Amino acid sequence: MAQALGAPALAMGATFLAFGAAVAEAGLSLPWALLCTGAVYGMAGQLVLLQLAAGGGAALPATIAATAANARFLPMAVAIAPLLGRGGRRWLVLPFIAITPWAAGMRVLPGLPDAARLPWFLGFALASWCAAMAATAAGHLAAPLLPAEFRAALLFANPLYFALLLAADAARPGVAPALLAGILAAPLAFAVGGAWGLPLAGLLGGTLAFLWNRLR
Amino acid sequence: MSQADAALAFTIGIGLALRGCGLLLGGALRPDHPAIAWASAVSVATLAAFVTLAIAAPAGLLATVPLAARLAGLAAGFLAFRLLPGRLLPAMGAGLAALLLARALTG
Repeated sequence: MAQALGAPALAMGATFLAFGAAVAEAGLSLPWALLCTGAVYGMAGQLVLLQLAAGGGAALPATIAATAANARFLPMAVAIAPLLGRGGRRWLVLPFIAITPWAAGMRVLPGLPDAARLPWFLGFALASWCAAMAATAAGHLAAPLLPAEFRAALLFANPLYFALLLAADAARPGVAPALLAGILAAPLAFAVGGAWGLPLAGLLGGTLAFLWNRLR
Repeated sequence: MSQADAALAFTIGIGLALRGCGLLLGGALRPDHPAIAWASAVSVATLAAFVTLAIAAPAGLLATVPLAARLAGLAAGFLAFRLLPGRLLPAMGAGLAALLLARALTG
């Protein structure tokens, strides 16, 4: 638990604080913010969902875009599943497969005895989740009390966080083409506009990057 | 139920399904299987497009911050992250401080 509340959790907490503030800025309620953090629990999808849902977009394109942004849940779960054993209790981790606990789990779990892995992961994940919920609530409640320039800076925290994470990730095999394709597809998303622009750009850019990686 | 509530409910359901599929497939599919690689590429591209738009053409309150200030914040964040590898928090602090400073300077 102490590991879950260390430096990475502070950076993660800052993004959930900013998310809570962004939800308040968009005029959505605190329960909406808490349900989004607690049950979606994937900041990339949360932000995309917020942007499209708060803009008055239809539910379907907002869902597709948020799901595409969080599509990494699938490979993350595939990768960590063998480390959590084969018993039914491993399903307890289902809502907690998210970037911060997953990255820590992939680093720590291989070095633990089999019996200790699931309890360690659940302890880490629950502590991270509680911190995320508290930060979301704090951001939502504090946002109306802050001056406009600080609220704008808070809204900038999340794109900056993901820009840094993507840059750090770019060295991994296959990531750089998808990153570049997403950046190049952004004008398409802007031109298409509305709720469909982003999912279209992500699907097109990601598919082209996937084909590029396969064919070269 | 509003469109925002419906989108949230659907996203929660599909997110849990994705995680559940991953747990089921773990051990059966390799992490480098083509279907997994495609999902990863779409995820990265969607996030990259989102970040690009959020910085270059934001909506709402962030749109009141001049583009030069947003780019200064991004550059300062990257610079700090390069000087302090793996340290996200100081990099974010540097980026946000640069954004506020650049905004004050550019009015």
